[in-house]
Amino acid sequence: MSGRFRPGVFWGSGVKRVSVALLAVAFVVFALLPRQSQLLLHTIGQPLADLVAIPLEGMATLDRDMREWWMQYIALQSLSEQNRELREKVRQLTGEVNRLRAQALTAERLAALLKFQKDESVRTVAAKVIGRNLSNWYQGVILNKGEEDGIREQMGVITPAGVVGRIVRTSGATSIALLTIDPNVAVAGMVQRTREEGMVQGTSQGLVRMKYLPPLSSVKKGDAVVTSGLTGGFPRGVLIGDVSRVEESEDNLFQTAEIVPAVQFRYLDEVLIVVSPRSPDAMIPLDQALVSPGLQNPAP
Amino acid sequence: MKISVYAIFILFLISFQATLLHSLNPFGIQPDLCLVIACLVGFRTGHIPGAIVGFGLGFIQDVFSAGLFGLNMFTKAGVGFLAGVFARNLANRAPHAAFVPIVACSVLSSTVFLLSSRMGMGLGEMLHAFSFILLPQAILDGLAAIVANWVIVQWLVEAPSS
Repeated sequence: MSGRFRPGVFWGSGVKRVSVALLAVAFVVFALLPRQSQLLLHTIGQPLADLVAIPLEGMATLDRDMREWWMQYIALQSLSEQNRELREKVRQLTGEVNRLRAQALTAERLAALLKFQKDESVRTVAAKVIGRNLSNWYQGVILNKGEEDGIREQMGVITPAGVVGRIVRTSGATSIALLTIDPNVAVAGMVQRTREEGMVQGTSQGLVRMKYLPPLSSVKKGDAVVTSGLTGGFPRGVLIGDVSRVEESEDNLFQTAEIVPAVQFRYLDEVLIVVSPRSPDAMIPLDQALVSPGLQNPAP
Repeated sequence: MKISVYAIFILFLISFQATLLHSLNPFGIQPDLCLVIACLVGFRTGHIPGAIVGFGLGFIQDVFSAGLFGLNMFTKAGVGFLAGVFARNLANRAPHAAFVPIVACSVLSSTVFLLSSRMGMGLGEMLHAFSFILLPQAILDGLAAIVANWVIVQWLVEAPSS
């Protein structure tokens, strides 16, 4: 524990010295060749991501079960004033009801997701949230679908409630999506009532702001903001949230609107990844469209 | 055998941090357990094991992070190394002695993330991130380190025979 510096002791010997040298070389390569090292690390990390996804999925299921158990526990607390015998019976029934309700809610949610997936003219892939951000510096979720399912970076992520975020990293079986409340995510938005467009971006405070609204815009509290479909990843008209406050920007050239996101990110379980913002079926070439049966004159 | 145990522990740690830790933490800020473990390894066994463990943990963390690939890897290796260097100059290795070095390592590591993830942001947003993310996380990291260090001292380190 001597504070005196002795190189032989400080740098260790044999394997330790080689390890330190390798770390130093890796750091130099990382600093000097950022693009190549990113590519290399991404390639090395892919099988590792698939491996970690296995315990991650198990732990996510445990997490979901614990949350449901906790909700059941909260529900049971309200029965404490009833007599013991009845309480026991009610506890059993409540437990059963809660279990069934949780199942019903899951079924309802999945049915809504399925209906939304069918209704929308976009092509989507359903994915389950298996983890959350590993650091406080990014607001993201880990999804159980990856490159093997056709997921690529920059694809949009939505739910029937609205916009969730954007895919920023993929591996074979998993992908990472940054949420709209993260400052590194920007989505082209539009105020539904006035049709004015702006850039929707997260803030450090975990809020969502719509920037670059015209100074004379009549946008007001309660207005719905939807995607404009101008930037890739999202179809037009998916709800982002409702305006909660409008203020002038610091340079007085634009207005900025604060938005309450439509999606509750804390309770996100299933999402849809937008594989193609416009369905191939919806994009019939003009010459085909003119001769398509729907546009021909009906037979007499 | 030892390597398999470490590998399982790391898989468990990463999975725990990505799932259950979020449910157990209602305030939105969570301790970085990978940083705590890297620092503790450095603190208890030396700067080189600290750097190596930090490098490995950081790499897996990078696989599931949205930021620049390699950032966690090198910052965790750096803080594992620094924690070991701090420990060389400490006379007291009681559980609570880990608090200050690990808070310092956490502040250093988070500063790197603050500068990289909030690039191009105004001073106000930077200050907000400093006060509401960086400092609370550093304190949580320090507290988690005390608990983990206490567990190590109580159960994992054999008591010296008298």
